Amino acid sequence: MTTLEANPVTQTTNEVLLEANGLKKHFPVTKGLLVSKVTGWIKAVDGVSFQVRAGETLGIVGESGCGKSTTAKMLLMLEEPTEGTIEYQGQEIHNANAEQRRAYRSSVQAVFQDPWSSLNPRMRVRDLIAEPMVINLNLSRREMQDRVGKLLNDVGLSSYHANLYPHEFSGGQRQRLAIARALSVEPRVIVLDEPVSALDVSIRAQIMNLLMDLQNEYNVSYLLIAHHLATVRYMCDWVAVMYLGQIVEYGRTKELFDNASHPYTKALMNAALPSHPDIEQEEMILTGEVPSPLNPPEGCRFHPRCPFVMDQCSRDIPQVTELEPGHIVSCHLY
Amino acid sequence: MTTSTTENTSPVVLQVDGLKTYFETRWGTVKAVDGVSFNLRRGETLGIVGESGSGKSVTMLSLMRLIPEPPGRIVDGQILLEGQDLVQMTDKEMSGIRGSQIALIIQDPMTSLNPVFSIGNQVGEAIKIHQDIPKRTVVQQVLDVLRKVNIPAAETRVRDYPHQMSGGMRQRVVGAIGISCEPIVLIADEPTTSLDVTIQAQYLKLLKELQEASNIGLIFITHDFGIVAKMCDRVAVMYAGRIVEMGDVRDIFNNPSHPYTEALLASVPKLEEDVDRLYSIEGQPPTLHDLPTGCPFAPRCQYVMDKCQTTYPTQFDVSDSHYAACWRLE
Repeated sequence: MTTLEANPVTQTTNEVLLEANGLKKHFPVTKGLLVSKVTGWIKAVDGVSFQVRAGETLGIVGESGCGKSTTAKMLLMLEEPTEGTIEYQGQEIHNANAEQRRAYRSSVQAVFQDPWSSLNPRMRVRDLIAEPMVINLNLSRREMQDRVGKLLNDVGLSSYHANLYPHEFSGGQRQRLAIARALSVEPRVIVLDEPVSALDVSIRAQIMNLLMDLQNEYNVSYLLIAHHLATVRYMCDWVAVMYLGQIVEYGRTKELFDNASHPYTKALMNAALPSHPDIEQEEMILTGEVPSPLNPPEGCRFHPRCPFVMDQCSRDIPQVTELEPGHIVSCHLY
Repeated sequence: MTTSTTENTSPVVLQVDGLKTYFETRWGTVKAVDGVSFNLRRGETLGIVGESGSGKSVTMLSLMRLIPEPPGRIVDGQILLEGQDLVQMTDKEMSGIRGSQIALIIQDPMTSLNPVFSIGNQVGEAIKIHQDIPKRTVVQQVLDVLRKVNIPAAETRVRDYPHQMSGGMRQRVVGAIGISCEPIVLIADEPTTSLDVTIQAQYLKLLKELQEASNIGLIFITHDFGIVAKMCDRVAVMYAGRIVEMGDVRDIFNNPSHPYTEALLASVPKLEEDVDRLYSIEGQPPTLHDLPTGCPFAPRCQYVMDKCQTTYPTQFDVSDSHYAACWRLE
């Protein structure tokens, strides 16, 4: 998995903005109260590589515990990777100097799942949205105020909302505020961690459409963390499917949904709910649950749940195979 | 439009007529459920779909007679469970029925299980309350019901505490409590929202098997049309405390007749096909203490007419088994 080198020259012309190579994050498991002793490692992320291209959206899907949120945290510099590199415009960021790290932090912003806990209830909207600009940009009061007004308009609110507090807004509106705040420093990449799953159904489409409009307007790239496959299909250009800290399949959205190849990807698609009662689904319900990342299975990590399991799956780690340019899968079947 | 092929002619077990549940608050009376009627047959699955504030959960709590009183009160209507009116029952009579004839599976297994009692204790509690049987038989029944919900190694897991189990297993335990006294009506309130997709698929399959095995009338409270498509025979769509459309699941998906249903279905991304742009419903769901006169969906409706602003629409039949409350059908 560490040697993963997708090379989709034929299809893409957009430059690579952000690139992860063999990213790993292992958390120590300690024992003992005063003298703590490391008794094991939780391999939350274990060698993932992907690219975020300018103006495009990469989706990372997987079940809880697959490492998708830890990956996002490493990209946001909230966690130091154990191994591997993150390059932003060709520059490795975790070893960069303070100035470069600062610039990176303002170019990569985040929108989180729960707009009830991600906005400070004691700050007025004006200050909430201006806060990243105060830290990162050198603007006058007047300019700042104009920017806040424009951002509020861009996310579908109006400038008079600037005087209100977060509790005066509904869930969908709060998520709009969080988006405005992320956009305020004109980032190149926004990490969206389950941006619509806490919202009402009728509001989700509003926010998804807003995000896609803003992507065109601000030419920003998204890294979308999601568990809902249909959302990923709607919003993403590229999809990475993660299982137990590794990427098992990676490709362009259309290619991946039309020719899902890894048994886990297939199982995820079969388990997803149909959009019409007449859609007959193949019965491919996975047995068991995701094993603990403390002690992941030998060989292919999916083999204890895989319906196509073969002898070699429990022994050898599968190699990365490129099925089509840019569509890669790591499975012994190919 | 396809006609429903599985016409269910089993007897009606639950009949709800003109149910009204109001809450007195300092902002005035909140009509959380305002005249809801439906019926449920044995072995049938009814989906109640709605957003937060639509009244679906208050409907569920009213059926269980679990409305906190005050501030809430069932002000009108009947809930007939095999002919007995639950609304008229005393608290004591209701305790005998709640959990044994009509049972509930709640959303969040982390908060609905007590962390300081073992699984066996909690499943056994319901059995002990409703059946006068010796302790040894209770233990046996607990094991039986845990096996029914496919908990592996039930003999050892019965001594586990909730924190020792995974989310999927905990949800199964909550399911086991629900079916432990063989209810005739089971209400599942968003039972899979906290589960992962592959675990959700396992759980939905299990619920279906349990329903078929005991011919339970199942009510699914959800906001997810995917669950409705997979599980339900009939659907009631709720908005602002009332049922705005009701019909067989295929009628609802093929011929949504209320603009709200139509818009909701169009705003959900599809797994099976590429959609260029989703339809998005403007505005927010209404707040219940300040409902507009006329149709509460009118401010967000793309087909809004003058009449909608002034008068609440009556129900119009689309077909024998399908109605919607919208003036466009007049």
